[in-house]
Amino acid sequence: MRYDVVIIGGGLSALVCGTRLQRSGKSVLLVSSGQNAMHFSSGSFGFLGRLPDGSAPDDLIDSVINLPEVHPYRKIGPERLRTYAGQTIGFFESAGILLHGDPTHNSYRMTASGICKPAWLAMEDVSLFAPGETPSGGKALVVTLKGFTDFNVPFISSAFTKMGYACRCVEVEMEEIARLRKNPTEMRSVNIARVLEGQQALDRFISGVRGKLKDEDTVVLPQVFGLKDTSPLAAIRSRLPAHVHFVGTMIPSVPGIRSQMCLKSAFQAAGGTFLPGDTAVRAGFDSTGRVSSVYTANLGNTPLEAGEFILASGGLWGKGLEASYDSVKEPLFSLDVDSPRERKEWYDSDFFRRQAFTGFGVVTDESLRALKGGKTVSNLRVIGAECGGANPLEEGSGAGIAIMSAFMAADSILGRI
Amino acid sequence: MKDGYDVIIIGGGITGAGTARDCAMRGLKVLLIERNDIATGATGRNHGLLHSGARYAVTDRESAAECISENLILKRIARNCVEDTSGLFISLPEDDLGYQATFVEACKAAGIDARIIDPKEALAMEPSVNPSLTGAVVVPDGSVDPFRLCLANVIDAKARGADVLVYHEVVEVLRENGRVIGVRVLDKVHGDVKEYYGSVTVNAGGIWGHHIASLAGVNVGMFPAKGALLIFAHRVAKLVLNRCRKPANADILVPGDTVSIIGTTSTRIPYEECDDVRVTPDEVDLLLREGSLLSPSLSSTRILRAYAGVRPLVASGDDPSGRSISRGIVCIDHEQRDGLKDFITITGGKLMTYRLMAEQAADAVCARLGVSAKCTTAQTPLPGSEIGGLEETARKIWAVPTTVQKAAVGRAGSRASQIGLNSDEGQGIICECEEVSCGEIASAVDNLDVRTLTDLRRRTRFGMGTCQGELCGYRAAGVLAKKTGDAPAARRDLCDFMNERWKGMFPIAWGETLREAAFTQWVSKEVLGLEEDGI
Repeated sequence: MRYDVVIIGGGLSALVCGTRLQRSGKSVLLVSSGQNAMHFSSGSFGFLGRLPDGSAPDDLIDSVINLPEVHPYRKIGPERLRTYAGQTIGFFESAGILLHGDPTHNSYRMTASGICKPAWLAMEDVSLFAPGETPSGGKALVVTLKGFTDFNVPFISSAFTKMGYACRCVEVEMEEIARLRKNPTEMRSVNIARVLEGQQALDRFISGVRGKLKDEDTVVLPQVFGLKDTSPLAAIRSRLPAHVHFVGTMIPSVPGIRSQMCLKSAFQAAGGTFLPGDTAVRAGFDSTGRVSSVYTANLGNTPLEAGEFILASGGLWGKGLEASYDSVKEPLFSLDVDSPRERKEWYDSDFFRRQAFTGFGVVTDESLRALKGGKTVSNLRVIGAECGGANPLEEGSGAGIAIMSAFMAADSILGRI
Repeated sequence: MKDGYDVIIIGGGITGAGTARDCAMRGLKVLLIERNDIATGATGRNHGLLHSGARYAVTDRESAAECISENLILKRIARNCVEDTSGLFISLPEDDLGYQATFVEACKAAGIDARIIDPKEALAMEPSVNPSLTGAVVVPDGSVDPFRLCLANVIDAKARGADVLVYHEVVEVLRENGRVIGVRVLDKVHGDVKEYYGSVTVNAGGIWGHHIASLAGVNVGMFPAKGALLIFAHRVAKLVLNRCRKPANADILVPGDTVSIIGTTSTRIPYEECDDVRVTPDEVDLLLREGSLLSPSLSSTRILRAYAGVRPLVASGDDPSGRSISRGIVCIDHEQRDGLKDFITITGGKLMTYRLMAEQAADAVCARLGVSAKCTTAQTPLPGSEIGGLEETARKIWAVPTTVQKAAVGRAGSRASQIGLNSDEGQGIICECEEVSCGEIASAVDNLDVRTLTDLRRRTRFGMGTCQGELCGYRAAGVLAKKTGDAPAARRDLCDFMNERWKGMFPIAWGETLREAAFTQWVSKEVLGLEEDGI
């Protein structure tokens, strides 16, 4: 089977890159092994949450100069970053995902622990707060579903209290949801979202909240609405006589899964081929050192051939890297990996300090092409969390790197760079 | 009651808890004081091996005989804390097979049922054992959950009128005219200092008993011997596996609940390090290398955690590792030894012989008080163990128990009937790995002296499974915050809990463990945003 481009990975960077390429006339195949970081996202994107010295960035693009030279943002460069950041909202809108936020400045989002963290762009069901914004000091009703332990009401209400709201916490009890409890592991965000996708169930939920509302001007709800599309969000907003904030739950993430499905549909609508539930297991190289083919677990000896390959396999966590007792390897192409040699330098003994292992990635050249044995593999680009030179978790840059590197890799293949 | 305890017991490990129960059963008014949570010292940091005594049969006959006697007692009185797996002592090609005869002879002399079997039979009994074994002996080893055992003793002591103070540290032993009259304690949560008076004071501080004794102006020389262990994510073997040779490093593999534990090492450490023992890379290497000799599949099994404890050995001779120091019980009436009245130290011994240690300490207390009541702990089941086996207990409570109810019975025994598992909501799962429910968590917070998530983990096993608290910590913190009304404190506690879990993971952070750690980092820092300042 031959394509113009084969992308290994099915997460944010793979889908963005694949869609951009496919829409520009390339034939693209995505090999996706299953769940990816989007399923566990927070419903918002980070571009650069904090600078290496711990301070908060002002203009995000201007701030990139403070990052080390090997950082993917430095390789993409400020001009392109500004262009790409400006294109991001439009790109996602074309895939049916409405993002809000300022493309060049951070706002704040509230996490599932009731902590405000920097956010760049967010989905409809993630409220963003401006830096330094001190809300009205109104009254908030914090609502959860009876028996749902993945929405930590005490944490959320204490955060709204800190923001000046007078909070009251209530539980809505619904027969349809109670049925989930018969199987004790089923009370999770996605299962609840599935139940609340039914029109009658959603109506009953909204009436339940209305029944509990007294004089509150704000309602805080968990992100358990709209797995397929955002129509439940619109229904809730239009029918509750209060301002509605949706706040994150413990994973899995309903907005994350929805956006992943939207991106996948957009890729397929453009004509791309999505190979689900399969894993790339080995690769072939030609005599010049270019990648010639990739083989997968399910397809056996049938090669997937292409002129260009993109590795978007998600780093350590996505199995794009493997750590053994004494070394870190990229298992598919045996690429060069950016990780300390001594295992004791992989981690810090304090969980909450910077961990080196969350920044392991493949070494690339100036145009994000992979290095193997110190030499550039000219038709293999590395994007997203697989790309070395960054520590996305530490920087709050995971989604930004995924999207920016995806745009850059696509444009480079399309000859626009 | 602030004044007039019959006995004050210092130390909430298994020895102190057992002594508190024994004294309470004899009708004494008891105060148990623990500076941290119960079972935080050596009690919670060992193999969880229900020794048959075979390990000590050759080198320490007295301890061996105590072990087998207590082994049989615990199988009766602590049925929901122990598992009668049976054990194998295997000889490998590099071991002297001639030792086997000496070993079996010594076991018989100590009253331990030891039976030589054919290596092929051993492989059939335990397919994961090293297939190159040249000899095998079956012994009545088993496993014991030390947290559960300690908790059951504390629960029973309280039910019989004992007062228990956790997070209270003894800062002074009060003396008057050559006798100990009580203690001054620091309430570590609220910061107050209080005094409690008792007719007799028992030092059951384990390795920290050295310090308690010094507060009373007497000396109890301890030999802190660190032992490191690894927990594997599966139950690799069904039976306890030992090497048939003189006790050495990493030669015991114990199955417990859903995991397996290999250990230990033995290294003398400075007394000052007892409060913060860490596992070194060399120890990890040694445990893996030697452990794989018992069961080769260990080398391909995911490691969950590394941890270490400090054996409260009583100093004697000049043994550099402590391997040859007797595990025998040491009960000191300081009047006889030091002329200090009403102060007793109970130390040495083992988790296995805690009940006997408690009996000896309680006998000494009663002798001082002129109380004639006899020890009945060997006959009286601990709370949770009254009914019988797991299945029987579960069916007696619920005609058709659910899996969550069964899991709770596995931990709490017959106490599971009282922990809110009758409703669907109570059965909602907080910890998927260990099947710990909302009801069990809420009940532990209400009734079992829980202050932190880590305390809660010791009570319920929540957070001890494959994900190491990644998802359940957040959920349990919500339950705790609801109970206390202090969300910021619960959030700080959640951070402490995640760090405590990490402490056991980073020494073995490679392979699947590192991948899980990357995921846990993501969930904690990105999804939950923990340890960040708000707007």
